[in-house]
Amino acid sequence: MAASTPPRAGTRPASAATLAQLAELNQRLAWKPAARLQVEGLSIGYSTLRGRFHAVEDISFEVPAGTNLGLVGESGCGKSTVIKALMGLQPANTSVSGRALLDGQDILGLDDRGLRDIRWNSISLITQSAMNSLDPVYTIGDQIAEAIRAHERVSRATAWARAEEMFALVGLPAGRLYEFPHMFSGGMRQRAVIAMALALNAGMLLADEPTTALDPIMQSQIMTRIRGIHAHMRRSMILVTHDIAVVAETCENTVVMYAGKMAESGPTADVLERPLHPYTMGLQNAFPRLPVPGAPRQPLISIPGVVPNLLLPPPGCRFASRCPFATDLCRTTAPPVVRHGAQVATCHHTDRSEEFRAAAARPETWRNMRGAA
Amino acid sequence: MRAYILRRLAQSVLVVWAVTSIMFFMFRVMPADPTAMLLERGLTEEARQALLQEWGLTGTLWDQYVAYLGNILTGDFGSSFLYRKPVWEVLTPLIINTLWIAVPGLLLGAALGAVIGTAVGWAERGGKLERSGIFLATVIRGVPNFVIGIALLTIFSSTLSWFPGFGMGDPGATTGFARYMTLDFLHHLALPLIAVIIYFMPENLLLMRSGVVENRTEDYIELIRAKGVPQRRVAWHAARNSMLPLITWLFPALAETIAGIVVIEIVFSWPGVGRELVLAVTRQDYPVAQAAFFLLAVMIVLANLAADLVYGKLDPRVVYK
Repeated sequence: MAASTPPRAGTRPASAATLAQLAELNQRLAWKPAARLQVEGLSIGYSTLRGRFHAVEDISFEVPAGTNLGLVGESGCGKSTVIKALMGLQPANTSVSGRALLDGQDILGLDDRGLRDIRWNSISLITQSAMNSLDPVYTIGDQIAEAIRAHERVSRATAWARAEEMFALVGLPAGRLYEFPHMFSGGMRQRAVIAMALALNAGMLLADEPTTALDPIMQSQIMTRIRGIHAHMRRSMILVTHDIAVVAETCENTVVMYAGKMAESGPTADVLERPLHPYTMGLQNAFPRLPVPGAPRQPLISIPGVVPNLLLPPPGCRFASRCPFATDLCRTTAPPVVRHGAQVATCHHTDRSEEFRAAAARPETWRNMRGAA
Repeated sequence: MRAYILRRLAQSVLVVWAVTSIMFFMFRVMPADPTAMLLERGLTEEARQALLQEWGLTGTLWDQYVAYLGNILTGDFGSSFLYRKPVWEVLTPLIINTLWIAVPGLLLGAALGAVIGTAVGWAERGGKLERSGIFLATVIRGVPNFVIGIALLTIFSSTLSWFPGFGMGDPGATTGFARYMTLDFLHHLALPLIAVIIYFMPENLLLMRSGVVENRTEDYIELIRAKGVPQRRVAWHAARNSMLPLITWLFPALAETIAGIVVIEIVFSWPGVGRELVLAVTRQDYPVAQAAFFLLAVMIVLANLAADLVYGKLDPRVVYK
């Protein structure tokens, strides 16, 4: 079939009416301010056959308008669950409590109608696996136009013209709007998904591991693209990732999650330079850093053990079983939320963080701990 | 694309040739003599030989086979032994009768099955609509189609007397094409048509449902939902993708179902080509039976070809080579 109907190479010639409508649409969308998001006490649980699964417990953070927030943690710690709940995409048997105020409006308890209104209009999504997140039987252009026309009363031609502009923004030739997802490479698909997320200039962007499925070169290209767009359009964004380096480059604030709970949060520079929580320290060790000339090479250290079973969460700190500094107190009593300036950590021993940081940089600290456990 | 169609057509011709040959020899192997039916009425041996001569049943089997293939190539299937008329003259009105119940029946069955299947697949998992939909579809699919026919006859014809239960029109009704345009014809058409719909719908419904259930949890559906498009539109995307496996099944099944319509024609005494096929076999009326089987074979082959072409239209990932 592809042989008989080749994708059109160029763009559709736009009529004067389309151009006028496009100019009007662009103006309306450009006026949208960046959004501010305050999440307070967000808890998410699934009821399963074996009991309640506490996927996320009591998470609070704020994304000031026009800033980026990095949400980091290893796989399965609840990052994507938070993003889904913010979009109202959680499965049917999920209970969500707490509040998420998007420019003052609580978006957690919205009904179908309310959700439809905010989705893509005020809060849009760059999905985790761009490989599978496009409908295989529609052209990319159709899928972008569908998002635009779900919210704006514009003609098909205008929606396509807007899609062309979004394609230019992410560096894809407009002619490829007429192609189907399977004709795109992984990197191009990811860019198409970004173009789609930008289509209505939503004030808040949720980027759920936008580069995980890509090779390192493509990852850096996509992140550069996202940062460039961010600087240009001044949107707010939550960036979910397990790559600390990306967060350091992109985000003003950082939230570190562990096993569904917030381990640490605060301004990115503080969190990465003076981590208060041993988990953050461990996470930093687990990522490669470019060697500094003259200085000894930093070995990669992984955190031993696995995330605890969230059906039966341990009574004390959830990180206690993997923490080299855990005391009896940590194993029995849930840690308090401690504030140090702009930084917040959920740990009993934040006052000893300086001592911990020195110890955590040494590989034997983590290795010895494995023997003890 | 053109090369692909030509190659598929060539393959189809081969298949049809094989089917016609197998049919030819199978009928010749059958023990009964087609003149037996007439012998009872006191046919002399001379007359019998004359008949065999006329029907082309003399000479070696090979000679008969060559003559038979030659005739088919020119579209000549011979004359019915029973009606003493060219086969096409016998079959053409019957084919039209069959099309009257088959075409709307299969189209409506497939369309209703797809629509209801989507609704059932999109409904809450484990909810009332899903459970009752699957239950009904499975039960109906399990029931043989003659039972469906007899049940319809018992309820709507014998008990309620809403519809006639026999044939295509009351005696003395108009003949020719005009008879299809009468209310009386439509009245007779109703029950067998409903039987075909009920017979064909459940499998469509179940296939569509499982497709929608599979697709609704895909990542791309989540993104469409995240875009804030209305529920119905989201369900459409799931349905559109579920059509692909349905189509692969649907076209060959169409041809198969036409064979299943034979039973419905017999139950409702509908004078269609399927009923005639059964009668022709029991009467040793080779030419009619051969032509009817030939038609079925051609239909099944064409349906498979159509399935491949439609699939390519629906799925942009398919490339013909």
